[in-house]
Amino acid sequence: MNPIDSRIHQALDGELARESLPPELRLVVERLEAAAALLAAAPALAGLEPRVMAAVRRPAPSRVRRLIRWFSAPQAVTFRVRPVWSLALAAVVALLTLVPIDEGNGPMLGEHEGIAQFVGRFPDAQTVHVVGSFNDWRTGTIPLEDRDHDGVWRATVVLPTGTYEYMFVVDGERWVTDRLADRLVEDDFGRENSILIVRTARR
Amino acid sequence: MRLGLLLALVSSPLAAQSVRSRLEGRVPTAAVLTVDSLVQVAAREDLPTEPLVQKALEGGAKHVSAGRIGAAALEMLDQLRDARALLVRAGDAPPATAAEVTTVYAALKRGLPAAVVERVVAAMPQAPRGSALHSVADLAAHRFDPDSSASLIIDAARQGLRGERLLDVATAVLHEQQRGHPRAEALAVVRRELPNVPAPPRPARASVAGARRPDAASPPPQ
Repeated sequence: MNPIDSRIHQALDGELARESLPPELRLVVERLEAAAALLAAAPALAGLEPRVMAAVRRPAPSRVRRLIRWFSAPQAVTFRVRPVWSLALAAVVALLTLVPIDEGNGPMLGEHEGIAQFVGRFPDAQTVHVVGSFNDWRTGTIPLEDRDHDGVWRATVVLPTGTYEYMFVVDGERWVTDRLADRLVEDDFGRENSILIVRTARR
Repeated sequence: MRLGLLLALVSSPLAAQSVRSRLEGRVPTAAVLTVDSLVQVAAREDLPTEPLVQKALEGGAKHVSAGRIGAAALEMLDQLRDARALLVRAGDAPPATAAEVTTVYAALKRGLPAAVVERVVAAMPQAPRGSALHSVADLAAHRFDPDSSASLIIDAARQGLRGERLLDVATAVLHEQQRGHPRAEALAVVRRELPNVPAPPRPARASVAGARRPDAASPPPQ
């Protein structure tokens, strides 16, 4: 870059009379002054900043969007818990996890007790009972239920473990063999009893 | 000795009275007398009496005539004698317990040949044989050869399976048959797997929760 003659600076600053300059320097000074005048007359850049900011600014997100963004973005969560409470919390979690919860409604089963489930299909029956050696062949003590009225009658009974014979009694008078049972035996009275083996429920 | 004799003298009439009170009102009067006398005979012979009482109660509940109830009880008394004789033949030291006599009676009643029952009893001198005999009878009821079935169950007992687990052996065989194996092959498959046979699923919690106790549940007959 060529250094500018210092007399030009002085002339532009008014420190040196323009007439004292040689003609070529005087021409440079006049050109510079003309350029300065042009720059001063150029249109103002007022309004540029607001226009740029308007283009850059986005509408404020809604409250729901901000909430979603807060939940989805990683957040630093800090708990200040005394160690004794954290131990207590761990103990409660261990208890809930390891100790079986008693469901409440069911009977407690003994070591020598099991569950017997009786199921029979009697679409037109009004009542169905199961009768056998587990209840001294007393009719009417163990009813089956058809809660959804689909003709399938059920009863779930707690019995001592062992082997029993039984039949269904439909409508108080009709004796019916449980054909779904795996085991049948002659009853010595012209019919067949079903055999039920109750196994311990605690295995 | 004197105390035992005294207890026997006192308890025998009490037991007879107890049997009559259980039967009266539920069994025809003529049958009560017959069954009561048969119960006394059974008691004198150290045979189980509860099956006779149960048979009479069953007949009464089913409105069977007194004659048929008496005949059924008499026939049962003979079968109980046969069962005890089988136990003696199989090597059980007398006196046989009521439970063992009833177990053998039930196995014969289910149609197992006496020779097969005797074989199972002799092979399991110490353990209760109820589940073993039921397991053999379960297979025989599905037309498996009783002798081969007995062999499998005896093998299972020798390999450590006891009590109710022996019932699972028959169940495993029946599953193999359902999978398409011929009977002899189903027996062989399970024998190879012994003593590993699947246990039955535990009762569902919902089933246990919904279960109720019958009002008049009595102790099991055996």
